[in-house]
Amino acid sequence: MIEPLKTVPISFKVNGRPVSLEVGAGETALHAIRERLQLTGAKEGCGIGECGACTILVNAKAVNACLMLAAQMDGTSIRTVEGLAGGGSIHPLQKAFLDHHAVQCGFCTPGLLMSAAALLKEHPCPDRRTIADGLSGNLCRCTGYRQIFQAVEAVAQGEKEKTQ
Amino acid sequence: MTEKVGAIGSSIPRRGALDRLTGASMFSADFRLENPLALRAVRSPHSHARVLRIDTEEASRMPGVARIFTARDIPGKNLTGIINKDRPLLVEDKVRFVGDPVALVAAETEEAAERAAGAVNVLYEVLPAVYDPADALANEAPLIHEKGNLLFRRRVVRGDAASAFSSCAVVVEETYRTSFLEHCYLEPDAGAGWVDADGTLVIIASTQNPHYDHSEVAALLGVEDGRIRIIQAATGGGFGSKLDLNMQGFIGLALYHLQRPVRCVYSREETFIATSKRHALIMEMKTGAGKDGRLHAMKCRILCDTGAYGSYGIAVASRAAVHAGGPYEIEHVDTEVLCVYTNNPVAGAMRGFGTPQVAFAHESQMDLLAEKLGMDPFEIRRRNALRVGSVTATGQKLEASVGIGECLDAIKESYEKARSARSDRGDSPFTCRGVGIGAMWYGIGNTGMQNPSTAQVEIDLDGAVTLYTGCADIGQGSTTVLAQIAAGTLGLAPDEIRMIVADTKLTTNAGATSASRQTYISGNAVRDAAAKLVDVLLTEAVDLMKVPKNSLAVEGGFVVYKGDTDRRIAFSKLAARARRKGIPLRWQGYFDPVTSPLNPDTGHGEPYATYAYACHLAEVTVDITTGEVTVDRVVAAHDVGRAIHPEGVVGQICGGVAMGVGFALMEEFKPGVTASFKDYHIPTANDMPEVVPLIVESSEPTGPFGAKGVGEPALIPTAPAVLNALSDALGKRIYHLPANLERVLEAANKRG
Ligand code: FES
Ligand code: FES
Repeated sequence: MIEPLKTVPISFKVNGRPVSLEVGAGETALHAIRERLQLTGAKEGCGIGECGACTILVNAKAVNACLMLAAQMDGTSIRTVEGLAGGGSIHPLQKAFLDHHAVQCGFCTPGLLMSAAALLKEHPCPDRRTIADGLSGNLCRCTGYRQIFQAVEAVAQGEKEKTQ
Repeated sequence: MTEKVGAIGSSIPRRGALDRLTGASMFSADFRLENPLALRAVRSPHSHARVLRIDTEEASRMPGVARIFTARDIPGKNLTGIINKDRPLLVEDKVRFVGDPVALVAAETEEAAERAAGAVNVLYEVLPAVYDPADALANEAPLIHEKGNLLFRRRVVRGDAASAFSSCAVVVEETYRTSFLEHCYLEPDAGAGWVDADGTLVIIASTQNPHYDHSEVAALLGVEDGRIRIIQAATGGGFGSKLDLNMQGFIGLALYHLQRPVRCVYSREETFIATSKRHALIMEMKTGAGKDGRLHAMKCRILCDTGAYGSYGIAVASRAAVHAGGPYEIEHVDTEVLCVYTNNPVAGAMRGFGTPQVAFAHESQMDLLAEKLGMDPFEIRRRNALRVGSVTATGQKLEASVGIGECLDAIKESYEKARSARSDRGDSPFTCRGVGIGAMWYGIGNTGMQNPSTAQVEIDLDGAVTLYTGCADIGQGSTTVLAQIAAGTLGLAPDEIRMIVADTKLTTNAGATSASRQTYISGNAVRDAAAKLVDVLLTEAVDLMKVPKNSLAVEGGFVVYKGDTDRRIAFSKLAARARRKGIPLRWQGYFDPVTSPLNPDTGHGEPYATYAYACHLAEVTVDITTGEVTVDRVVAAHDVGRAIHPEGVVGQICGGVAMGVGFALMEEFKPGVTASFKDYHIPTANDMPEVVPLIVESSEPTGPFGAKGVGEPALIPTAPAVLNALSDALGKRIYHLPANLERVLEAANKRG
């Protein structure tokens, strides 16, 4: 006999759109986002907070969605890779990743983009060290990170030029 | 024939990258199916045990369980393997490693499948197990497979090594060991499937070889080829492990019996436990040189632990044997590689097939010889480097595109600067610095075996061109490169080429995405197909323009007269004209590199049609109080023949360096222990050295536009370079990978 799982009603914003869901008490935010909201951009690479493939923004902070309970999304504002560009067609980070060939298999990419977005919010002009630190929770097995660093630097540089 | 080379050598945006960046790409676990069943394997907790009984009754009655399969449910042949078929999809009689699957649960939810898998009752009789390949070869060793524990033996013999050693001025003899490694592609293995209206079993998979999957699933199920369709989903890396049949067979089995959509997604833990590893090698190597540093003789004995099943073990053993001497001329060679079954996890293909392991050994030997001779490590390599006209250990004369000398020259300046910077700065009481070189060669494609690729290029009546290829892009960028090759041949822009990729219903076999073969082999197949189509278009144009064929070229969707480019005819018009005559508008291309099989006794033959070459320079800093090693900088020179997509090559090199740093310093899969990224560390953004990629283009006459390959070579020289730098720093050498904190500390403490 399966125990009836308790469910919790939650309301929050995803990519600017309000949603209400009934989620399981033990359900992860990653599961709810992927399976219920069908936002499959966030990936499960490990499920235990070790790879960063599931990174999303929760109130503009980068969070491993596999470690967060779905119920904890209540009242928050969530951004996933699908909503990274906001209203625009493509976010500067997405454009820079494309231009700098920072995508190989692309499984790590959504998580890296979200971490990079959070990083640039906190450090608009990061040096290599700061970028590496900020992205060190996101594993990438394909690229060796160099082209990713270059992409993030290009966005930071572009922002700097805009404000000058 | 005329070619537009504008498409070649430019780093165009990667195909499919935009979808990866917006989250729109569909990886296997992202497919939405109607009420899919979840699949979960029941795996053995024992490394060697007879299966006496599998009791699924209680588990079958659990809520949500649709069915539980065992070996008895497999209608076809329950034996798989790409080279030797020794691995059951579901074990019938005995398990051979921890993780061997004995049953498969299909249930309404992941949770139900997992609970039922835990409730399947398997009665085992535990058998003595063996975990050391040398022990496995002993007479009294437990027999893992009926044919014996020796899977394969490969010898490569040239000249008379035994007597040549006596005339050497210096000889070094050492034993090197490497560990099992996990591939750690970011996407855990996954697949999905459904049954089409016409009864076709459609399997979506994260795979490196859809056509192999196809034939294997058809054989397992005993169905005709046409009833299976494998479609490669977006694939999150593979590095060799997704060459094996991982979940495809499970999905096929469930579809066959249940006729309902299914999904099978491995957890990270399951990828650690169930999928292939890199072979752990024990390498005894003896190398001798003359006073002038010229290598005379090399003797090598290698034990290769392939674990419970063959997978790619035979290929790894062969490749290790052929490449054991490194990219150097050696007149007398005596190599023997034994590939042995144990009760360890299955070891299969992993980026480089044994070459990364042997490169660690031969490059350490080079430094040891240099030290004994008082010679610079750069100089001894430069002196012995293969060149055009050199004869390899298998007796193959290298005819062209031998870029190892150029690669060494490319790093020379950096090397000299690094050496003098190191001695200028000196060491602090707590840290020391070192500089090292690693070099390698790598045969492109399978070893002394046929490994063809096919492709089709089709033009429609509007002049639009479609390329059909079975080649699986697993992140390395083959789809983009093949589009460039087609475009370069047809005088089009790469984004004008429509592509159908890696779907066994719509494309023909391009072979495995492995052995760094797709640019060279599938690239040539694509070029062949495109060239045939070009010829049709030119022939039609000759008829219309009344000029000789060699005065015509293809450009921008037109055949143009070279003397006056205003005289031109659109592809669409020529295609329509050809069609009216019944001339095909779809052409098949084919390429199989010219090789000859290795002689079973001597290893003589021409195992590869061409080789890639590379060398890396590594600079390291060692903290001798903690054993921590920082790789500060890697200068990586690679002879790729021709870089079709230079930034793609750079991406391969940087990714290879990262994996090489992991191989050198941190990665070790401990059977029975390692199950997550918590106990298996791969390089993060913080572990990365500054990488300086240098592309060397020693054009390969038989390559598409001169190209060879780079996927595996990218990784191979890093670990040897790092280990040589470490020994330069410590004055002590480490013979066992990884050079983790403990091993580095131990070496540091032994310092004089
Ligand atoms: S899936 Fe969340 S950190 Fe790996
Ligand atoms: S691009 Fe493959 S893991 Fe990062």
